[in-house]
Amino acid sequence: MNPLFQSHSRRTFLTHASTGVGLAALSSLMDARASVPLSGFPHLPVKAKRVIYLFQSGAPSQMDLFDPKPKMAAYFQKDLPESIRKGQRLTTMTSGQKNFPIAPSIFKFAEHGQSRATISELMPHIASVADELCFIKSMHTEAINHDPAITFFQTGRQLAGFPSMGSWLSYGLGSENHDLPAYVVLSSFGSGRPDDQPLYDRLWGSGFLPTQHSGVKFRNTGDPVLYLSNPNGMDRSLRRDSLDQLSALNQQRHTLVGDPEIEARIAQYEMAFRMQASVPDLTDTSNEPQHVLDLYGPDVKRPGSYASNCLLARRLAERDVRFIQLFHMGWDHHGGLPKAIKGQCNDTDQPTAALIKDLKQRGLLDDTLIVWGGEFGRTIYSQGTLTETNYGRDHHPRCFTVFLAGGGIKPGTTIGETDDFSYNIVKDPVSIFDLHATMLNRLGIDHNRLSYKFQGLDAKLTGVESAKVIKGILA
Amino acid sequence: MKRLTSLLLLASATTDAAEISFNRDIRPILTENCYACHGPDQNHRKGDLRLDVRADAIEAKAITPGNPDTSSVIERILTSDADDLMPPPDSHKKLSASEKELLKRWIAEGAEYQGHWAFLKPERPPVPQAFKPAQTFGNPVDSFILQRLAEEKWPAAPEADPRTLIRRLSLDLTGLPPSPEDVESFVNQCREGNAFVVRQPAYEALVDRLLNSPAFGEQMAQTWLDNARYADSHGFQTDSSRSMWPWRDWVIRAFNENKPFDQFTIEQLAGDLLPNPRLDQVVATGFHRNHRINGEGGIIDEEWRIENIIDRVDTTGATWMGLTLGCARCHDHKYDPISQKEFYELFAFFNNVDETGVIRGASNRSGGNPDPSIKVPNAAQQKQLADLAAAITAAESAVKAQEKNLPTLLAAWEPQFKAELAQNKPSWEPLTPEKVTSANGTTFTRQEDGTYLAGGPVPAKETYLIESPIPSGAFSGVLLETFPDASLPNQSVGRNDNGNFVLTRVEAQITAPSLDKPLNVTFTEADAEYSQKGWGIESLIAESIAKKAKGKKATSSNRGKGWAVDGPSRREPNRAMLVTSDTLTIPADARLTIRLVHETLSKHHIGRFRLSYTSTPPARVTLSGDGAVPPEIRTTMDTPAANRKLAQTQKLTAFFRTEVDSPLKKADTALAAARKRHSDFETTVPSTMVMKELPTVRPAHILIRGEYAKPGDLVTAATPAVLAPLPAGAPRNRLTLARWLVSPEHPLTARVWVNRQWERLFGKGLVKSTENLGVQSDPPSHPELLDWLATEFIGNGWNMKALIKTLVMSATYRQSSHLTHLPQEILLKDPENRLLARGPRMRLPAETIRDQALQISGLLNTQIGGPSVRPYMPEGVWDETSRYGDLRGYKHDATNGLYRRTLYTIWKRTAAPPTMLLFDSPSRETCTVKRARTNTPLQALALLNEVTYVEAARHLAQRMILEGGATPEKRIAWAFQHVTCRAPSADELKVLTTGLTRHQKHYQTTPDAAAKLIHTGESKPNATIPPTELATYTVTANVLLNLDELVNKE
Repeated sequence: MNPLFQSHSRRTFLTHASTGVGLAALSSLMDARASVPLSGFPHLPVKAKRVIYLFQSGAPSQMDLFDPKPKMAAYFQKDLPESIRKGQRLTTMTSGQKNFPIAPSIFKFAEHGQSRATISELMPHIASVADELCFIKSMHTEAINHDPAITFFQTGRQLAGFPSMGSWLSYGLGSENHDLPAYVVLSSFGSGRPDDQPLYDRLWGSGFLPTQHSGVKFRNTGDPVLYLSNPNGMDRSLRRDSLDQLSALNQQRHTLVGDPEIEARIAQYEMAFRMQASVPDLTDTSNEPQHVLDLYGPDVKRPGSYASNCLLARRLAERDVRFIQLFHMGWDHHGGLPKAIKGQCNDTDQPTAALIKDLKQRGLLDDTLIVWGGEFGRTIYSQGTLTETNYGRDHHPRCFTVFLAGGGIKPGTTIGETDDFSYNIVKDPVSIFDLHATMLNRLGIDHNRLSYKFQGLDAKLTGVESAKVIKGILA
Repeated sequence: MKRLTSLLLLASATTDAAEISFNRDIRPILTENCYACHGPDQNHRKGDLRLDVRADAIEAKAITPGNPDTSSVIERILTSDADDLMPPPDSHKKLSASEKELLKRWIAEGAEYQGHWAFLKPERPPVPQAFKPAQTFGNPVDSFILQRLAEEKWPAAPEADPRTLIRRLSLDLTGLPPSPEDVESFVNQCREGNAFVVRQPAYEALVDRLLNSPAFGEQMAQTWLDNARYADSHGFQTDSSRSMWPWRDWVIRAFNENKPFDQFTIEQLAGDLLPNPRLDQVVATGFHRNHRINGEGGIIDEEWRIENIIDRVDTTGATWMGLTLGCARCHDHKYDPISQKEFYELFAFFNNVDETGVIRGASNRSGGNPDPSIKVPNAAQQKQLADLAAAITAAESAVKAQEKNLPTLLAAWEPQFKAELAQNKPSWEPLTPEKVTSANGTTFTRQEDGTYLAGGPVPAKETYLIESPIPSGAFSGVLLETFPDASLPNQSVGRNDNGNFVLTRVEAQITAPSLDKPLNVTFTEADAEYSQKGWGIESLIAESIAKKAKGKKATSSNRGKGWAVDGPSRREPNRAMLVTSDTLTIPADARLTIRLVHETLSKHHIGRFRLSYTSTPPARVTLSGDGAVPPEIRTTMDTPAANRKLAQTQKLTAFFRTEVDSPLKKADTALAAARKRHSDFETTVPSTMVMKELPTVRPAHILIRGEYAKPGDLVTAATPAVLAPLPAGAPRNRLTLARWLVSPEHPLTARVWVNRQWERLFGKGLVKSTENLGVQSDPPSHPELLDWLATEFIGNGWNMKALIKTLVMSATYRQSSHLTHLPQEILLKDPENRLLARGPRMRLPAETIRDQALQISGLLNTQIGGPSVRPYMPEGVWDETSRYGDLRGYKHDATNGLYRRTLYTIWKRTAAPPTMLLFDSPSRETCTVKRARTNTPLQALALLNEVTYVEAARHLAQRMILEGGATPEKRIAWAFQHVTCRAPSADELKVLTTGLTRHQKHYQTTPDAAAKLIHTGESKPNATIPPTELATYTVTANVLLNLDELVNKE
């Protein structure tokens, strides 16, 4: 049993109670988790053991990357027809514009691989792994502003207070790693528009689930895990010595008081000590061979970069961390999109492709589910001034593209279609709940059975409406 | 009311002969398995069948009282046909055999329903007098507890020892451990020969002292801040700052003044609606402005105004009533009898606030308090505001007096100004320099057009010195023209190889025989035809004196670097001007000396330039030198006075008042200055957001599926029908709602509060689901006790301190929390200690763990209230996820702010204080009424390594050495007693002393490491103690501060 976040649990209680060692279930530990799956989990065949979610925060423009709209060339500067917009709501950043001039993408698209996936010239490395990918071009969401939209993606609700998807997985499936948390988060700033969009603790928070299911955000400065290092002037041997004393004293207290939480605490201190070795071992990439570093590109040497986080993601996957989530900021291109998106693609194209190749060459892609995407799409019309070479795009919740790869996903596929304006979905719409349900399905979970009693209700990641697994993309 | 006769763990055994209770046995089965489709929610009801109303169920023949065989409910739960089976297989719900049996028996016995207990007014039960505690004193609480234990034939635990008790009490009532002196004093009072007996007088005196300690209010406020979702930031996207600490201080004061809970409620929900409310009663209404407020670009105001109101309804429901009202936002509540319409009737109470719903009246990026907000000056600030207001009144009188002269002044000025305009003199007059030299060797050649071309060497830094005579009269600014020249690098404007220049600063000085010393000219405005991005002309003017730069937005980030003009790509002439704030008077025979300083970048000097000056009043100086007289003014002056339109005359008068020096302008300026002084000072007075009602009621609607843009039927403010009605004729406003909540008729409010106090002290509520007392709640373990406490609370005038005193004076509270001697049966059947066969033992809240370490080490700063503080926080916690908003670049405070109680720590919701989150505090984004208590390795790392705890360990080590005695044994024993309130056992002492010897050896061989360890934190180590000794003891103190006993209340 993994004692990382709870050495005693209701689950061990159930086993121990029958043998008369029921003390372990006392007090607060009754609510605590174990690192083994909940009873009855998994419900379904397990196609993916872990997830690497590459979140592109700020919302990448689908029609400049993966959803080409060649007919738009003839519409340059023409007003978006009302027959397409249909009076749908816009943000107040553009709802006051006198007109909505169509801005065709200035980037070239080509077909790649046997799957003939159409990918923009901005993503040459992604194009090189096209046959590994499954594009969903018909994602849609309800939110129109960043904060509620990214919160919706992460928790299934637009407002704060609900568990993130990684926390749900930690709760349902537990952890397979003895030294690391089940849910690890990595963040990086983009070079496209460095101040957009910010991230929030709640995106990896546990909401109403017990706190230990929160994602642990690895930090780019100082200790990767908060308070990991001993204070200056205290080395590992001295720490060991002091923990031995602490353990002896706590053991004596336990003998007198009999509270099993004391034993749990002793175990947690031991785990903390082990993490002081296992985390630096994880983050120390000095032993990575040059050809692997080259695969991820020159940025991999810069701590806190997307490339370096992709390499860390692979190392976390190797260590069986259940849910690994990268957030890359900087995709919110209201103006100056052509220049800014180049910067973002430069940050992410090569490392994303490298991660897929690296996992594949290690045999890890088969049981690792990769997800790439932002919180909504962008408008075909220009926000602000449109020229031959420059334009901006506002938020567009009605359609956008994400791609998946790896564990249990049919490679080289595309599902969903948008209209000629990439404004409305014309085929196979996929909601965020559907995406969540599909991810859970690949992990062996029936989304209707992953629930937690909160305020008297069976709360679920996939909401009260019936979410559908996207059958067409399952391998 | 029936009570839970057996614990949940034993509940499955309820199929014995005991009488069936609907609330205990049947309701949980129906709510869990049936009500989602056959309950209160009419929109999702299947088969038009509802089982929550007896008459409906009977009419539909689902239930035939007395006859299970003709009840279709029974048929459907027993059938083997999957199409007919209830609950349906795809619901993943399944009835157990014993549940089916219970339903059958219930129907056979008559299918009696009961109203949900929590919706019925609590009736005061008799105290079971037969049960008295064995301890020297107790109270009615014990009688209820002992009666229930007797049913299980379980004994109560013996009393905890006095040391444990004083620590338990101090932590519970003040959030701080007792001082060693207080411990010894209490223990001595309990000493009877060789034994210790806790007697009522000493214990009660201790309780009273702690309840009256100012720390009590801080302790109680902590939980209330979670309920109120209090924070120092707005919570969305930029998560910029807000100021709500005056409200937080109100809460602390209210608890310390023992404000009755009904008043506490009324003032927070509706203090603004009380007759002639005091300032503090209005401040109290900040409770419902503590919710998050969105300011993201592009948001639709109404969407967020609605969300905020829904947050208020949810928070009111959770905080006061223990109800999950939010479930009824989109549809009728699935379990509780709250319809969607009733949800929006509650919504209507909060719909009438004078607000936009978004960050308006403040900035999304730089923060502030969106309206409505109120200033909260202290006494000194109130006086100063009054003085400044009086100065405004005086200045206004002066203006009025001068305004009488306006026609005369205007008449005298107009012909003179006309004559001036007729001369059509350009306002920029070229200087005629007598000397143009340089500090470091640059040479100058005068060109035919009066410009100077630089030549000769190009030193790294250079200052050009221009000396010129200047005629007597007015002076208000200089014009610097720069030009490209073929002789310059890149044929551009500067002497750098790339053709650029960076002008760092311009100094100007006037000398004259009549002046004792040179007059330094201060420029306050700047403008240029063109500035390179990031190198604006405003950087030539210190921010502190700058007026708003003309025509251009001053960006402070440009300041101090210099002015540049994109020389590498832009080979254009350029004009820049620097203007004074007032016209200066130049005496006769004066000289003007100007220094053009280039020192920002190496070899970036101006290549060719010309200087001019102006005597036009500052307000009318422009780059072009056209005198800034608007054409319409010229037209007016050309029109005979008799023919002018009223608007023309008004504009001319306005032009005169603002642009022309006169006694009136002086009075206007003085008034503006007085107003500015007032408003400047006012901005330093803290403000806090409050509630303020609109004069007319804003219509409220049912929102279809809860969506802001889909209003349905109109509703008016009302309360749910299942609860006590509003008083007839009372106005439908927040004040009535608040009074209704704390009416003795309300079934929930008092129960919710006493249940949460019980949970705080004993670990679990009498109703375990303290967050939900609705139909889906857990049955109370001691329903009579819950109602006795609720009626006692109401009967005592909602006296919060009296309630807590009742709880902690009980023998139940004073029981030992040791498990070692408990019968195995109790541990197995009641692991959560619901029946209280022992005292509480549980991990301390996040705040208390830190406050305790600060207190024990002697570092704690006990100052109460004030703006939030910034203790230690690892680098990047704010900045790694956001480059937005004003809460960035966290720097911890110097000294004082580092050691304040934890509830004063600044709270940014999207990146909350990490040690708080690690110890289970909520993010404060939404109302939270219950915290988890987890036990994780990340907590261990924080307590071992976080600066606060290491610094506290070092301070404790200092005290061990200085106050603990001469030998290691004495010092360790002293410290052990100090932190745990008890003496160490011989074994414990041995572990620590042998450990200390090893640390000592370690640091004697590594003195550098010792020096490093003791320099953790901002405070300086005591220089009289050798570093190796201090480090040695610091390690021991670090062990002590991590003891499980310390992290727990025992």
